[in-house]
Amino acid sequence: MAVVNPVERRPPSKWSAQVTSQAASAPAFEPQRQIDMLRVMLLIRRFEERTFQEYTKPGQKIGGFCHLYSGQEAIAVGAAAIFQKSRDKLINGYRCHGHSLALGMPPRTAMAELFGKATGCSHGKGGSMHLFDVKDGNYGGHGIVGAQIPLAVGMAFAQKYQKTGGVTFCFMGDGAVNQGSFAEALNLASLQKVPAVFIVENNGVAMGTQVERHSADPELAKRACGFVMPHRAIDGNDVEVVIAELSRAADRARAGDGPSFIVCNTFRFRGHSMSDAMKYRTKEQVERAKLHDPITIYSARLIDRGVMTAEQIEAMNQEIHDQIDQATAQADADPHPDLNDRFTDIYSETYPYFP
Amino acid sequence: MPVIEFREALRTAMIEEMERDDRVFLIGEEVAQYDGAYKVSRGMLQKFGPQRVVDAPISETAFAGLGIGAATCGLRPIVEFMSWSFTLVCLDQLMNNAANIRYMSGGQIKIPIVFRGVNGIAHQLGATHSHRVQAMYSRVPGLVVVAPSSPYEAKGLLKSAIRCDDPVIFLESEKILADKGEVPDEEYLLPLGVANVERTGSDVTILSYGRPLTRVVRQASEVLVNDHGIDVELIDIRSLRPLDLATILASVRKTHRCVIIDEDWGYCGMGAGILHQIHKPTFDDLDAPIEYIHCDDIPVPFSHDLELAMLPSLDGIVTTVNEMFGR
Repeated sequence: MAVVNPVERRPPSKWSAQVTSQAASAPAFEPQRQIDMLRVMLLIRRFEERTFQEYTKPGQKIGGFCHLYSGQEAIAVGAAAIFQKSRDKLINGYRCHGHSLALGMPPRTAMAELFGKATGCSHGKGGSMHLFDVKDGNYGGHGIVGAQIPLAVGMAFAQKYQKTGGVTFCFMGDGAVNQGSFAEALNLASLQKVPAVFIVENNGVAMGTQVERHSADPELAKRACGFVMPHRAIDGNDVEVVIAELSRAADRARAGDGPSFIVCNTFRFRGHSMSDAMKYRTKEQVERAKLHDPITIYSARLIDRGVMTAEQIEAMNQEIHDQIDQATAQADADPHPDLNDRFTDIYSETYPYFP
Repeated sequence: MPVIEFREALRTAMIEEMERDDRVFLIGEEVAQYDGAYKVSRGMLQKFGPQRVVDAPISETAFAGLGIGAATCGLRPIVEFMSWSFTLVCLDQLMNNAANIRYMSGGQIKIPIVFRGVNGIAHQLGATHSHRVQAMYSRVPGLVVVAPSSPYEAKGLLKSAIRCDDPVIFLESEKILADKGEVPDEEYLLPLGVANVERTGSDVTILSYGRPLTRVVRQASEVLVNDHGIDVELIDIRSLRPLDLATILASVRKTHRCVIIDEDWGYCGMGAGILHQIHKPTFDDLDAPIEYIHCDDIPVPFSHDLELAMLPSLDGIVTTVNEMFGR
């Protein structure tokens, strides 16, 4: 089980790099789908950059904890590419902006939630760490590390119980593998043979603690051995590698062969959260990782394949810039929640005598 | 009317609801092949099979979370905890996931789930297995908390809890599982959020719930009525959240005196929270300060005599109520 580490490369231009093909076994997507995947990766990157600006600039519009996804886009976009909205479900930790956008949440709805506005996906009651879009199968970002993993087992249990043929994709960071909930949930998932795919986005650092300092064995995929679960570590920065591996895992789940455990090795370009000065890694490490940027890798590949030209990618990037500008302006102009709405959405039922 | 045990009332409620709705399933430690640690689920595996009566490993976080996740996706789980004391290891699943997800999703998700099991001080189980969790859960917006005090209440409230679209914390007691009582054959439901006035009276309102009601409060009320000429209004609070404040306030305004009795610790205890709800609205009606009789402020000791000594006693209740009348 090879652990694929980011490889040093020097891109000749902004949108291309000398990329070795690691996606030989990837499914052949139509050119338009390849373009769409690059578009969503760019959308996430531009959204997160804008989020960073809105958080840090004077008159800060975003409060609380906020965790950016920049650098990890290939994982969410790869999962979304094989996600069947009619029956599949996704659940996540708190670094959840990217997955929400990848599953189709409009940037305005996501940004409005970050602003705490009434038009946000959770009407301003969730915030950055808790983006939900249930109609599209997005069962949320979850703020407590590892808390979502047992929920994923239950969601997959329901899919099996109701024979929907659906799969639950459960995302977590590398820090989550040291929570008790992780071990408990993976054990029960295997015992119940539920159709789940557990995906660790291993960006190498749990907040500020490097994987070598937080896990006795930094080859995290091996954690699944004790649960007799198929497992693999892959290059999480190559969207087609992600698609290939998650497809195999999803096929196993749909066939009734139970859960899988996939470690996607990646790198986050921003800090853990907004207050993080990233003293735990050098500028050189970050610069080196940027040579293995998932967006650069994929744009270079599309240029190599003749699917897009660099000019077309630049034009698409500009278009997304404008789209994010517009979404942010709309979210900014959107209304704040009515103060009385703080009392709604607590219970589904009404009870006699309840205030 | 048939007389059955408390545990049988619980079982009948679960069986009837599982027959009525195939989205309902039971999961917990030893609920299937072992027939339940307290035999509440006896025979249910044979009746419904392993898909709907599911043995879980000793892994509260995993199976509580499984239940919540399944509830978010349209199933209606019953999660049995062998003891509510064990939920201290999975508190995050209950207080964050079960209680908050509906709110944090802006109402996109509902969580129809029942968590049930034995709560409180039983018989020499020591400090770790004797926790009373009612105050901890009753504080939490998003949860419903119920504590039945008879087989009749157990069946009617559990059926309602299973049909409820919100997470329900259902608190039983090991010491009352063998209690017997009349339970009608025909179907009935008891509403959540409604107290039960067990005895009407005009002199003092006594509020209690769950096991202390069965162990000591009903007897104390009889003594007060028969031996001390005090006309007690006895209310089984039954639903700790939502609290049926309308029934309670009307009673206290009528009797002008109120005493709350439970087996929680007093400081920040369940009764203290209830007292706070009653005190201000009835201040001008009261002829005496509201009393709260609770257990001693100590870890629960192992020794039987020490354990018994920490609990509210019949004599203590009778004395306190008499003092409220200046006697």
